[in-house]
Amino acid sequence: MRPSRLTSSRCCRKPQEVLIVEFAFYLSAAVAVAATFCVVTGVNAVHALLNLVVSLIAIAMVYFSIGAPSAAILEIIVYAGAIMVLFVFVVMMLNLGQAAVEQEKAWLRPGIWLWPSIMAALLLAVLVFTLFMDSRGYGVGGVTQTPKQIGMALFGPYIVLVELAAFLLLGALVAATHVGRDEGHQDQAGDRPEGLK
Amino acid sequence: MNLTLTHLFALLPLIIVGITVVVVMLSVACRRNHFLNATLSGCGLILALLSVFWVQCSDHGSQLPTLVSPMVAVDSYSLFYIGLILVAALACIVFAYAYFDRLKVHREEFYLLLLCSTLGAMVLVSAVHMASLFIGLELMSVPLYGMAAYIFKRQQSLEAGIKYLVLSAVASSFLLFGMALLFAAYGELGFAELGLKLVSVDYLDTWTIIGVGMMVIGLAFKLSVAPFHMWTSDVYEGAPAPVSAFLATVSKVAVFAVLVRFFILAPTFSVKLHTVIAVLAVLSMLTGNLLALRSHNIKRLLGYSSIAHLGYLLTAVVVLRSGVSDGAGELSESGQLVLEATGVYLVGYVLTSLGTFGVVALATHADSANRDTSELRGLAQRRPVLAVCMAFMLLSLAGIPLTAGFIGKFYVLALTVNGELWWLAASVIVGSAIGLYYYLRTIVELFLPTDDATVTAANGRGQALGALVVVIAAALTLWIGIFPEPIITMVNSALPVGL
Repeated sequence: MRPSRLTSSRCCRKPQEVLIVEFAFYLSAAVAVAATFCVVTGVNAVHALLNLVVSLIAIAMVYFSIGAPSAAILEIIVYAGAIMVLFVFVVMMLNLGQAAVEQEKAWLRPGIWLWPSIMAALLLAVLVFTLFMDSRGYGVGGVTQTPKQIGMALFGPYIVLVELAAFLLLGALVAATHVGRDEGHQDQAGDRPEGLK
Repeated sequence: MNLTLTHLFALLPLIIVGITVVVVMLSVACRRNHFLNATLSGCGLILALLSVFWVQCSDHGSQLPTLVSPMVAVDSYSLFYIGLILVAALACIVFAYAYFDRLKVHREEFYLLLLCSTLGAMVLVSAVHMASLFIGLELMSVPLYGMAAYIFKRQQSLEAGIKYLVLSAVASSFLLFGMALLFAAYGELGFAELGLKLVSVDYLDTWTIIGVGMMVIGLAFKLSVAPFHMWTSDVYEGAPAPVSAFLATVSKVAVFAVLVRFFILAPTFSVKLHTVIAVLAVLSMLTGNLLALRSHNIKRLLGYSSIAHLGYLLTAVVVLRSGVSDGAGELSESGQLVLEATGVYLVGYVLTSLGTFGVVALATHADSANRDTSELRGLAQRRPVLAVCMAFMLLSLAGIPLTAGFIGKFYVLALTVNGELWWLAASVIVGSAIGLYYYLRTIVELFLPTDDATVTAANGRGQALGALVVVIAAALTLWIGIFPEPIITMVNSALPVGL
């Protein structure tokens, strides 16, 4: 099963390019699947999160390979860059004390960081390789989608859904703040917002 | 493409609910007042309901169906189900007010979540595109996680929320993967465009069937159809009773309506797929009823019975295999029967579910962790009106004549006979026979004397209003059971776009 953009743009390409693009696509996809598998099987929260970062970057590479660089860059900035780093910080901050230090020492064993590093290195190789090919005139993906086109789509036919996505975030935020509230500090009357105490 | 005034007018019910969300949010931020915020939410929903009639009946109504962007279509079909959803959500707000009135937790966020979820359900029934289907489904489900886990100090409630979250996320990934497979094969996301491509190919390849199948799995989870029903009983039992009512009515109506619309606009005509759906239907009827036999907790029992009812309803989707159009763009006879059966059955199902869950919400204590059927035992002594309504609703769920449930079941049987689906007809009858036993058992419980004198009837305007809603639901059930003409006319005029 190939992505449709790849298939549709095949007509105007040499077979060799298609091979390279497919190679990049399948390699990144394989890394994403392997890294996600490690996330699920990992027993340590931080290790799992680091694997998740690799998985997200691999998905970004998939986007690159099918010609959606804006989505790929957003994936890296928002998910791998902002959200995951926040997760890692929070999880690491919760593990304090002597036990945590010893654990940290144990984390430095090469067996633990080796696999994520190899997978990240593979992704880097894919990136360098495809960039190198691109500079010689070979395109990475099918039809490249520019940020302008994406913006026009989002605020054209998809405008209603963009507004609804805002409500989705609001609903998720309210649900999370309610369930995550510290009940121990709740005022007895229950008729005052948390911030005003 | 630009949004014109016509588009905005057609979207009026959604816009009003959206504004209500913002107003309630600001009001909660200013002052926490349970009564005020519940009233604001209720007024917003009533306004939205009025606007549904306005959109339907006004001059612009002649311009229906309005395709607001390629994603959302407002036609008489979606307006009908939006109306049904709004009525159900309104009843849930009344029950929630009575239920949460005695609790010392932050109660106001509940209405915010309920409104967001209702908005999602309204988008879902208007969806004609994969993107709006997915956003609508998520907008409906995500606030529901918070609603199911709302009384998070009670372990059961938290468990219900987490269970629903995890399993729902799995279902969403199935749905997304199915959509991706269809997009990869045909390059279309709109239902109608996809349908055109599907019609033009002679032979459906394996990937298409897997794609549609995965979408059906994702939606079947939300409908809690067997064998994707494992979460239902625990979530229904653990969640606060008004949330169970919301889950059983609003979320199921919305998902079922969009499922029917999808199969109308993008018919697959694949025998394999429809055999699978028929098997799901038979399994749900039998599993739901057999599991309900063994359960003594009223919320679990109602949860299992809703599985069985969705099984009866799924026969409509099985019959959709032959399509609803007769080839000349007109509604075929079997197509009309499918739409009629779906609409009438859903109206009856929503009314009775609201009634039964409403009685459970009103009659049981919000503080008690365990609510067994025995808690409803002797309800006739304490709350005679509620007990009579509950008994009548249970009769309607069982499909006794003179109730809306009978009309619905009659339609389902007519569908199976018309489509010559004898196995389905047989399982509808077997399922109803089993169902009769536990519904009657519950009714007997209601009228048994109780020796528990400590249980006192709760008072307050919430309780009174809740009882009024239950009585209205019972009266409507009776009215539809005796005189179904108006509701059938209404359902018949609610045709989806593309017909």
